[in-house]
Amino acid sequence: MEAGVSAPTGDVLAVDELTIRFDGHGVDLVDRASFRLGRGETLCLVGESGCGKSITALAVMGLLASPPARITRGRALFQGEDLLSMPRKPLADLRGNRLAMIFQEPMTSLNPAFRIGDQIAEAVVRHHGVSQQEGRARALDVLRRVRIPAAEKRLDAYPHQLSGGMRQRVMIAMALVNRPDLLIADEPTTALDVTIQAQILALIAELQREAGMAMILVTHDLGVVAEVADRVAVMYAGRFVETGPVDAIFSDPQHPYALGLIGSLPSLGKREGRLATIAGSVPPPQRFPAGCRFATRCPFADERCAREVPPLVETSTPGHQVACFKAPLEIHVGGLAA
Amino acid sequence: MWSLILRRLLVAIPTLFLVMVFVFILQRMLPGDPLLVMAGEERDPVVLEELRKLYGFDRPIPVQFLIWLREVATGNFGASLRTGAPVTELIAQTLPVTIQLAVASLIIALLIGIPTGVLSAVKKGTWLDYLANAISLSGLSIPNFWLGIILILFVSVNLRWLPASGFVSVFDDPVEAFRTTIMPAFVLGTGLAATLMRHTRSAMLEVLRLDYVRTARAKGLLESKVILKHALRNALVPIVTLSTLLFGQLLAGAVLTEQVFTIPGFGKLIVDAVFNRDYGVVQGVVLCTAVAFILMNLIADVLYIVINPRLRTT
Ligand SMILES: Nc1ncnc2c1ncn2[C@@H]1O[C@H](COP(=O)(O)OP(=O)(O)O)[C@@H](O)[C@H]1O
Ligand code: SF4
Ligand SMILES: [Mg+2]
Repeated sequence: MEAGVSAPTGDVLAVDELTIRFDGHGVDLVDRASFRLGRGETLCLVGESGCGKSITALAVMGLLASPPARITRGRALFQGEDLLSMPRKPLADLRGNRLAMIFQEPMTSLNPAFRIGDQIAEAVVRHHGVSQQEGRARALDVLRRVRIPAAEKRLDAYPHQLSGGMRQRVMIAMALVNRPDLLIADEPTTALDVTIQAQILALIAELQREAGMAMILVTHDLGVVAEVADRVAVMYAGRFVETGPVDAIFSDPQHPYALGLIGSLPSLGKREGRLATIAGSVPPPQRFPAGCRFATRCPFADERCAREVPPLVETSTPGHQVACFKAPLEIHVGGLAA
Repeated sequence: MWSLILRRLLVAIPTLFLVMVFVFILQRMLPGDPLLVMAGEERDPVVLEELRKLYGFDRPIPVQFLIWLREVATGNFGASLRTGAPVTELIAQTLPVTIQLAVASLIIALLIGIPTGVLSAVKKGTWLDYLANAISLSGLSIPNFWLGIILILFVSVNLRWLPASGFVSVFDDPVEAFRTTIMPAFVLGTGLAATLMRHTRSAMLEVLRLDYVRTARAKGLLESKVILKHALRNALVPIVTLSTLLFGQLLAGAVLTEQVFTIPGFGKLIVDAVFNRDYGVVQGVVLCTAVAFILMNLIADVLYIVINPRLRTT
């Protein structure tokens, strides 16, 4: 790795060339992912299922099970310290404290054997060495902050006594109880009823603003992206294909995949609900094309795309990067756009 | 939960009835006449006939059974044909012996089985895991009586560290109780430890890949706490049930080990009774074992609910 890529001060998180492989797969499931996140900023990570969003998030948290996962390259500087090369103990000191995560599966993410209050208090006791009593007091506090009705009674409830939405509120409470500097929320509402989804997302956004923490939000919901994101990273088959300020991504998407997702190109994708669809599907990892991984689905693909990997390069807009040989696309789409 | 207990107790009645029928019939199908054993040198046909009448053995078998049933129902479990001692008294003498042995064995089994099970799950696929599995496999395949004899030869005969036989109650002399119980308990315990280890290992592997274990790590808990608190607490649920059932087995099935170590326990009582055609004792002991088994099953069910919050409140 070159010198000089270290995080400029002010970045909460700077990920450089994160590369993840699983034993038994001959291919990088995340390939040189790079992104950075300033204090209080929100980065939305979008892309179809199986793109590697979750394993990217888990790798940053140090929660990828190894084996089978191996991080073969890269750094993730969190407030200047590399999370990927950090020994277990100091990393665990950060987790649940300055660095927290909410998962996609509220129904199974809480331990069925322990009371809600104790599970939250445990995080406080672990990182602040306070008494169990003080821990429970803070748990009650944070349960109120995530607006759980009858919070006092919920302290003694077991997870199975709560609905999915309530459990996700508990998970949010647990993640926020120590007021982290960075929150990673991996599709926090996908498993919930549609009516609850908006509530939970609004709650997360509000708490984030309140606390001034940075957030990586993995989501399928482009409406939410437009609302809460400062920056967007579009992932396809383990690679970041386009990143940039939210306005640039929505008003001037450059990568054919991003175009398809956002649905601004009728011939590429039809908007169905909030997420546009793109013809075809992500190939399984063992059949990722050697060059640009989108080549099998891209209407602009040519021979070079099949051979060479397009690097992420800055467009004319500062901070807006795209990995496509044909960008900017305007010169090619004239005949395609209706 | 109370309704569960009540249901179980109701089911227990026909179960016990069937056990009684079986033991009664099987016993009378065995060759040999209890009176001959009892009468010893006395072979006078007139005396034998008298005795037969006295004990009701001249009646038809179904009638004998009904008489027994009536006696049991009124709390009379009969007496030994040989010594005349009441069966309840014999059980009261031998059951505590077996319970002490069973408790000691279970403690040894848990102390060995659970830590090795956890360790081999956490170190899955490493040489430690393979070693633990190999040892447990050999533990399962070594017969108890053989291990017992080897231990006696080595520890008692060669080294003269521990007594080879006998029994002392822990309430009489704890030290001597430890010295007499440890070897047979080790023999029984290691056999069970292998079973416990395998179940603990698979329960832990099951639990360790669940989402809430990841949540525990995401909180920043150290790995020891993740495993010993969050994972093990849930993996123990089936282990507690299993242990209770194993304890029931220990109460009934330590026959060979008790013989090897000459322990005057339940197993020895029943073996002697069978060889002597002592109908009353065999019947009483089997009935008692059946009750103990049913109780252990019930306790296992209740414990399962008690340690499982998801079931407790429903
Ligand atoms: N434990 C694992 N073993 C092997 N492959 C895995 C494992 N976890 C995830 N993957 C693979 O990694 C890729 C990315 O998965 P994931 O990060 O969950 O995608 P996303 O969150 O974007 O839907 C997928 O191809 C998935 O099959
Ligand atoms: S590099 Fe080629 S295949 Fe890849 S997105 Fe651009 S045009 Fe399509
Ligand atoms: Mg995912």
